Amino acid sequence: MEQTKKWFANGYLILVFVILYAPILFLTAYSFNSGGSMVGFDGFTLEWYQELFSDTRLLIIVLNTLVIALISATIATIVGVAGAVAIHNIEKTKYRSMLLTLNNILVVSPDVIIGASFLILFTMLGISLGFFSVLLSHIAFSIPIVVIMILPKLKEMSPTLVDAAQDLGASQWQVFSKVILPYILPGVFAGFFTALTFSLDDFAVTFFVTGNGFNTLAVEVYSLARQGISLKINALSTIIFAITLALVLGYYFLSTRKKPKTLGGTD
Amino acid sequence: MSNTIIRFENVTKAYDDTVVLNNVNFEIERGKFYTLLGPSGCGKTTILRLIAGFIQPTSGKVFIDDKCVNTIPAHLRPVNTVFQDYALFPHLNVFENVAFGLRIQKVKEAEVKERVANALKFVNLEEYQTREISEMSGGQRQRVAIARAIVNRPQLVLLDEPLSALDLKLRTEMQYELRELQQRLGITFVFVTHDQEEALALSDEIFVLNKGIIQQSGTPTDIYDEPINRFVADFIGESNIVDGFMLEDNLVSFANRSFECVDQGFNQNEPVEVIIRPEDLEITTAELGKITVQVDSILFRGVHYEMSCYDEFKNEWLVHSTKKVDVNSKIGLNFGPEAIHIMRLGETEAEFDKRLEAYEE
Repeated sequence: MEQTKKWFANGYLILVFVILYAPILFLTAYSFNSGGSMVGFDGFTLEWYQELFSDTRLLIIVLNTLVIALISATIATIVGVAGAVAIHNIEKTKYRSMLLTLNNILVVSPDVIIGASFLILFTMLGISLGFFSVLLSHIAFSIPIVVIMILPKLKEMSPTLVDAAQDLGASQWQVFSKVILPYILPGVFAGFFTALTFSLDDFAVTFFVTGNGFNTLAVEVYSLARQGISLKINALSTIIFAITLALVLGYYFLSTRKKPKTLGGTD
Repeated sequence: MSNTIIRFENVTKAYDDTVVLNNVNFEIERGKFYTLLGPSGCGKTTILRLIAGFIQPTSGKVFIDDKCVNTIPAHLRPVNTVFQDYALFPHLNVFENVAFGLRIQKVKEAEVKERVANALKFVNLEEYQTREISEMSGGQRQRVAIARAIVNRPQLVLLDEPLSALDLKLRTEMQYELRELQQRLGITFVFVTHDQEEALALSDEIFVLNKGIIQQSGTPTDIYDEPINRFVADFIGESNIVDGFMLEDNLVSFANRSFECVDQGFNQNEPVEVIIRPEDLEITTAELGKITVQVDSILFRGVHYEMSCYDEFKNEWLVHSTKKVDVNSKIGLNFGPEAIHIMRLGETEAEFDKRLEAYEE
């Protein structure tokens, strides 16, 4: 009885993962197809990868995407940390929860609406659409995410830690840099990486606010796919997937290795 | 340099409409061990936070070294605190926790090493410099917190119920260590606790607080032997409190009899409260006792038995004795004139001191 239940549970889990990963694996497999379409596997080739690396235009777009992601995630993290600390320090519960709600609405509201409203804003202000408008909008939609990732860490921190630091002579800036920041650092990293991934795979917002020949990967792949599918996209997707997988695994090994020892903890 | 290190002048602290500290005045002298004692919510921690500078008074002035510090922020005050939850920085090891204050002051590396090592030696943790905080036990964390406070050589160390999280045995041990540490360092300690035994054992001076007001201040023996009112008598140790009235100087009437006592300065026939500590009552036979009581219940407390008895006027008498008596038996209680302490109703501390001075001369 117990045994069959376990088999069922494991089987179900495996099935779920197979279904989730099947499209990616399918896409990866066909990136090596010499047939030139996604109908029938004719033979193994690295032709699509070759073609990809000789396509400078596509490589520049990849680079653009990375640059936008890195800059926007960095700025969003800095602003988000400041925002989270400020929200945390508001003494009146009413105002604090009000600000928090405003923050959360931005996280859950559909990208299409955010994208459209940015487009309206930028046109109204006369900001030309291109690198700068994409960067600004990516920073803007990343900040609320960073705030949400950091707030729990701040809440978890005992307020006497701040008192203690002040008591030992630390000025406000020193309290922040020597006590609060090290404490919330895991949350800051989590916020940064989430902002990074949100920016990397954003399609909707970028689609609205880009222009002037500036493109990010998501928008480019979309327009390529509309023209008819080239297996070059499969090759590119495979590479991105491999890099993401490597990053996740690397993060996993680093975080499990650095876990504090719990033996002989208290008393 | 005057001998007074802290002075409170008409200090009131209120949050919205709740007054936590009501017009408090006191002075703290250099080099002594002070205890702020009272039930939770009496304002003792508020006083500590006012001295440390984490909060500002609603009205009144706080002086450190005869300088009004109302506008001086916490990080510029010559005071260090040991917190109830220790507030050690989890991302730093023992050495760096203790060195935190010195690093802020940009003390030279060699001196930091020496002073941290010395401070850790003071609290018997010299072997633990490189340990993480998560690897330390409760008692050890406590010591790190103390070392972190004293390493900065403050003139005043504030301790906010630092022993309350420890078990009884460790707590007693730490009490001895704290007292010894204070005497070796010669700096002022202000200690907050709700544990009256701790206060009596450690302090040079105790302030008993209730409802935001200092009820009484004095040495442990003063406060124990001459409590000013019912609250203090009840809070410090066990006591028998009965109503009576003063017949004349040195003669009091309660339980329908008159007794010789050593208290003076009352009006004739003034209603008073009479206190006799349970350990000052001596058990004899019913015939020989000054008061006859019936034993209602008996508890074994280890060092002594605690008996709850009632006299014929339904007054309860707690008796501590090493002698065991039978429940429901009639016994006599004996006590000398010195054992009786008389409290005037509604007397303030100033009036109380004045009356005491008047007849002690």
